[in-house]
Amino acid sequence: MILLRFAPALVALLAVGFPVATHAQTDTVIGTPTAPLVPGRAAPAVRGIAIDERIADDHGVVVGDTLRLAAEAGTRGELVRVDAIVRRAADPSEVARSEYRVRLHLDQLQRLTGSEDRVDRFAVALRDSGESVDSALARINHVAFGFRAHASRDVAVESSRTFQVVDRFHRAIGGITIVASAVFLLCILLLKVEERRRAIAALRLAGLSRRTVALSVIAEAAVISVVGSVIGAGLGWVVTLAVNAHYQRLFRTPLTFAVLTPGITLFAVTLSLLLGIVAGALAAWRLVRTPPLVLLGR
Amino acid sequence: MTATTPLIEARNLVRRYRTGATDVAALRGVSLTIMPGEFVAIVGASGSGKSTMLHLLGAVDAPDSGQVLLEGRDISQLSDADATRLRLLRIGLVFQRFYLMPTLSALENVELPMAEAGASTTVRRERAKSLLSFVGLGERTDHRPSQLSGGEQQRVAVARALANKPALLLADEPTGELDAATGAALIALLQQLNRDGLTCVLVTHDAALARSAQRVVTMRDGQIVSDERVAEPVA
Repeated sequence: MILLRFAPALVALLAVGFPVATHAQTDTVIGTPTAPLVPGRAAPAVRGIAIDERIADDHGVVVGDTLRLAAEAGTRGELVRVDAIVRRAADPSEVARSEYRVRLHLDQLQRLTGSEDRVDRFAVALRDSGESVDSALARINHVAFGFRAHASRDVAVESSRTFQVVDRFHRAIGGITIVASAVFLLCILLLKVEERRRAIAALRLAGLSRRTVALSVIAEAAVISVVGSVIGAGLGWVVTLAVNAHYQRLFRTPLTFAVLTPGITLFAVTLSLLLGIVAGALAAWRLVRTPPLVLLGR
Repeated sequence: MTATTPLIEARNLVRRYRTGATDVAALRGVSLTIMPGEFVAIVGASGSGKSTMLHLLGAVDAPDSGQVLLEGRDISQLSDADATRLRLLRIGLVFQRFYLMPTLSALENVELPMAEAGASTTVRRERAKSLLSFVGLGERTDHRPSQLSGGEQQRVAVARALANKPALLLADEPTGELDAATGAALIALLQQLNRDGLTCVLVTHDAALARSAQRVVTMRDGQIVSDERVAEPVA
């Protein structure tokens, strides 16, 4: 049998001042509830709610405080007690949403907004009954006329399309950066090697073969590339810390904006090494094909 | 090779360079024979062909016609690889500028040709130390070129040229960037090497300096105009 229940304690979300009630992420309760929110219990005189961490931070509200909650300014509203403080989940779609949020009981929400029997969206969780999500969806959509149920994964995929585009955009920027870096590296190496025309000519005159000279140039280019990429990765890591700290503070979210993983670092170092070898080989090829006397300018 | 066999012999060398649309004859049928153990100075004004002569003797360049025989072997038309190998093992070159590797110590600069020739680390390190001691730099083996004076750098360059025990040392204006006293000390070093049996060819525009050699060959307009023995080389 399929058992359906509303999301924990029939809690809905209300953006204060805006009758929005939607949420699909897992927020974190960081306050300690003094009275748990229990479904079906008779409403006490002062009922507990959960508030956004932003409200707590901006107005110095702590768990246990009593607030007056109203949907519109100037209306009486009702007294509520803060039972929990909720930190928002790391959800990219939440970035730049600066409104406050409170979690309250559904009947409270209905009273406050004056919208009896009106629910825009609500979440349904399946118990561990072996029922598949697709099957549950089909049943809900069959019996709940006027509603359209969606699996949370589909909602997640749909809501992340924008970020997939952003991700592709970032990859394109990364690709352009790599190409520009490769050209830059090649130019720098060619210039550095050109500076050593006379020294390389002297090596050739002293009897060092083309192969030895070319290998030494390539080895030096490889070392420079690897050392440079490691230093660059270190700087990148510092920058990610700064970027994350800045934007997490700006958008008041735990979301990670910039990431430097070991995989990315390894990719960068490997790519840099390959580019260094190619650039070194090109530079060496130009030099060793030039007669030593020409390198000396004679 | 017997004592009467020339160490190196130039036969009717011709070398032309193209400058824009003009052909310039740097050497016009030059012949020169140098016996083992000689110290020969090639002297002449700028553009006389003396450096071109040295390049051909050192298998650095190839003549348009004529031959260069080193120990009886024609080296005038060697491939780049063979000419490079010949310079590595049989010919030492010293230039006006020292052309040391700036990132390497004096010891490592001297070791380079030996490493290329396949000498073991122990052997080349010992020989490099010995050579640097011989040129008076035994206490400065770990110094980089930037930490050495011009005279000291040129001594390192001489030690590098001697690394693989060449049969012939070619020096192109080796005192050109040195002061008089340092230059004289370098010439004294070349004389010492010559007394030890090394055949030396010194190219210079300084006639007085050329008197340090046993034999002075004078060039003008790509030809040898005199070839004379020095009765008492300047010490």
